[in-house]
Formats: sequence, structure tokens, C-alpha cells
Amino acid sequence: MTVAEATERIGGVIVAGAVDAVGREIRGGYASDLLSDVLGNCHEGDLWVTMQKHVNIVAVAQLRELAAIVLVGGRRPDAPTLARAEAEHLPVISTDLPTFDVAGILYSLGIRGRRSV
Amino acid sequence: MLDTHVHTCLSPCGELDMHPAALVEAGIEAGLDAVVVCDHNSAENVAAVERAGRAKGLAVIPGMEVTSEEEVHVVALLPDTEAALALQSRVQRALPGKNDPDAFGMQVIANEHAEVLGFDEHLLIGATTLGIDAVVDGIHAVGGLAVAAHVDREGFGIIGQLGMIPDDLALDALEVSTRTPMNVARSNYGAATLPLLCGSDAHQPDQVGRGVTFMLMEEPSLSEVRLALAGLGGRAVLGGGRPMEDLLLHILDIVRNAIEAGATAVEIELTEDPARDLLAICVRDNGRGMDEATVARVTDPFFTTRTTRRVGLGLPLLTAAARAAGGDVTVESIPGKGTRVTATFQHSHIDRAPVGDIETTLLVLVAGSPEVDILFRHVVGGRDYELSSRDLAAALEGAALASPQGLALLRAAIRQGEAELAHEPGSERR
Repeated sequence: MTVAEATERIGGVIVAGAVDAVGREIRGGYASDLLSDVLGNCHEGDLWVTMQKHVNIVAVAQLRELAAIVLVGGRRPDAPTLARAEAEHLPVISTDLPTFDVAGILYSLGIRGRRSV
Repeated sequence: MLDTHVHTCLSPCGELDMHPAALVEAGIEAGLDAVVVCDHNSAENVAAVERAGRAKGLAVIPGMEVTSEEEVHVVALLPDTEAALALQSRVQRALPGKNDPDAFGMQVIANEHAEVLGFDEHLLIGATTLGIDAVVDGIHAVGGLAVAAHVDREGFGIIGQLGMIPDDLALDALEVSTRTPMNVARSNYGAATLPLLCGSDAHQPDQVGRGVTFMLMEEPSLSEVRLALAGLGGRAVLGGGRPMEDLLLHILDIVRNAIEAGATAVEIELTEDPARDLLAICVRDNGRGMDEATVARVTDPFFTTRTTRRVGLGLPLLTAAARAAGGDVTVESIPGKGTRVTATFQHSHIDRAPVGDIETTLLVLVAGSPEVDILFRHVVGGRDYELSSRDLAAALEGAALASPQGLALLRAAIRQGEAELAHEPGSERR
């Protein structure tokens, strides 16, 4: 599933990196609001679901080569976060749904969390 | 010696016993020169702690532990009560929710006479809607200093919450909790180039002073702390640690005893001998010495010949720590010649307290007693290095040892010596 398709399924809006979202495949999913935990436990190609919107989320996503970030609960990133995401070609999606529902929908569509070995 | 992070009974997690007067008494008991009083997202008890401090003779720096939108805790060190209330008003406008005392604890506003004046109704345990940048800017706007709290904690620490410290965030310092020794903190967070503080995060009186920062200042006040954090005007952050735990910090008290006994030279030897499973700390001075009867009494916690304030509990606590780790303390003294205190420990003993931070200990000793010749030797498995404050002072060609150049030279000498020792296997300390 691509980032653009997933956005539609969770009723989200792409707020940054729209062009990049169209063809980008999601390989797995991760949900956490502790960025140190994300750095330690996510996998390349994951769609990351979080309520954090500080500009550091872009750095974390770049570092771990994540597919995209989903901001839950209607959160919209601030200008610095948006600008950085655009510059880094990182899709950022905003949805009104809470984390639990976003994860549930994506799971039912076959996206899975991947355990660290 | 400051504890830069102390709560009162106003914090939902703070104990009722932690009323302003009790906090101040605990701070004096711990030998502190100043405390920073910082409750979660509120400053209602700051004025009462200041009054209690004035009455008892402990400097109190107003503060607040602000929770950002990202759930990062930031300790604000503030110039006065007005600034604290101004910050409180800004913070509480952005703090949704009402406290449920049954769920989170009471938020008691108290005066300096241990009387309850009321309760703060805000949900102080919650997060504000202010982003971390807005929190730091808000603290600076009222003339305060912003310190990222307990960066070594995953929850509510800036690195845990945000993965890394944002480059462009105008923090003034980083604080580590009492769970991380200062030498470890330096290697973990030293790259950030911000000064490292240690604070107790005390929520009950017996925790006050369990984590401290040593600063070289004229007086314990915010303006002096500001200079120390910036390394300006001859002020400096010397280090930090856990006075009740770190073995080397007990030396500070022993050396102070020696100086009071007229010592002009002190030798400190730290020996780590993995082959014999031994850790030994030996302090030798050329002071007045003691007769046999006095020597017999010095490990008694209630005995002292001094009237000045202390750091840690000195000999009695060191003795307890040594005996808990399969060792002991011996005191040998010859009147008119000097005293030698030797503490031994089984190096691998499960109850052996951490050695502590050599850099903090030596910087505090040299900055605090520049007139005394201090010789430090660290021996690890038969290899060693040695530092002499007199040699360092000579190399400075006129500048004082307790000056920024002097302290930088001392720091560099310790780092070089430790780096050379670290090549040998079996030199790990915990």
C-alpha cells in the first residue's frame, strides 16, 4: 500500500510531501510518542503514527528512513516542521482520528508492526 | 553547592511533609548553599519557601518545572517571585484540565509555618499546550534560565521525548538525575556543549541534596548562576554528583577537616586493583593530627570538632559505605605530624557505592581551597598518573588555579591521565 492510499483510508490530509506520497510503499507500521523509542525500535519503510509535532519528528523519520508520519487527533505541524518535511521529501499526514483507530484501520488493511530481532 | 531541582507539597507527587519550612530545613541539613524550588507548572509556594529560607539562612532561587506540549520537563531558574508568578500566569493559561486529588495527589499551597492556605486547582501533572521553544522563550522573557530536566530519563526528558536535543533550542544547561554519575553523564551528553547540572528532583525532605551541582560563585544567586553557566567573570560550573553515594565526594569533607586542622598539603590516592578485587581511597594530610582518644571517636556520626557546614557525612558515612562493601576505614594520626585516612572496599562487591566523578571532586577541592597543595594519584592495576596542584599552578605563570584557565588546565590534565589509564584492561569503573 502506498502512503497516498493509506491517507485516504484513515481520512487524512497530506500536509507535506504530497508528491512523494503518491508512489511511496509502506512496509510496516509503528506507533509511539517517545522519539527515543522510535529511533530505537522502528524499521525502514514504516508508517509512523504519533501525536508529537515538534520538528525533531522529521529528523527521526529521515534518520530511520521511514515512509511517512501520521499526526493524530487533528494535529497540524508547525511551520518549521512543515518546511523541514517538504525539504526532506517526507510525507506528513494529519488525521482527526486517534492513534488507536489509525493503527486499527491500517492493521485491518494488512500493515503490520515488525519486531526488532 | 546547589540542589537545582526541589519540589514542594504543591506538586501532586510531592509529599505533604515537603512544606516550605521542611524543605529549607532539609536543605540546610544537607549542607546546601542554595536550593531551586520548582513545582510542576506552578509557583504558588515559591514566596513561602523564600521566606522560610530567609528566616533560616538558606538561599532560595525561585523556579518552576514547566511541562511542554511534547511532555518535556524544563526547569526554569528565575530572578524573583514576580518573575515566577509572571511565568505561572503564562504557563497556566496554556494548562488545560482540573486536578483530581484522589487520582494525582493534593496540590497544597502552604506558608512558611507549615499551614495550609489552599489548593491549586489546575491539572499541574498535565502538559501545557506550549511547544518546547515557546517554553524556553517564555522562561527567557521573564529573565530566567532554562534547564532541560533529567535528560537521562526516558519519560519527560528531552532526549526521550524528542529523540535528540534540537540544535536551535536556546537551553542554558542540561540536568541529569541522581541515577547517572557525572562522569557517565559527561560522556553521554558532553557533546551538547551545554553545562551539566545534577539535581535531586526531591519530592520528600530526605531526598533534598541527594543530587547537587558545585559552582564557583561569589554568592548563591541567580545572577551568579547565570555567569557560572556561561563561564563568565571567573564563575564556573565545577561538576555535580550524589553526596550521599559517590565515594569520592566524601573526600571533600575529609579534606575540609584536614584544612581546619591546619594542613597545607593533602595527598589523595585512589587505587583500583582488579587482581586483588580492591578499591582503596587514601587521604593523607600534614595537619595537626589527633590523639588516640579523638581518633577513636571520629567515625561517630555525632562527633565533630567543627562548626562549619559539611558536605556529605564524611567519615561516618564513608565507614558505613566501606563496611557494607567488605572493607573498612582506618584512621592513623600522629599529633603534630598529620593524619591518614584509608578506606577500602571489595571492588566487585554488589553493595559497593559508585566511585563518583574524579573531575568534580578535584575541581571542587582546588577551587575551594586554592591555598592547599593537593596531590592526586590514580592507580589502576599497577599503572598510575599523578597530578599536583602546585605543578599546575606553576604552569599557569601567574593566573590563579581557581580561575577559568586554571580549572581548564586541571580538567585537561585529569582527562589526559584518565584516558591513558583507560587503555589498560580491567580499568572499568561503575
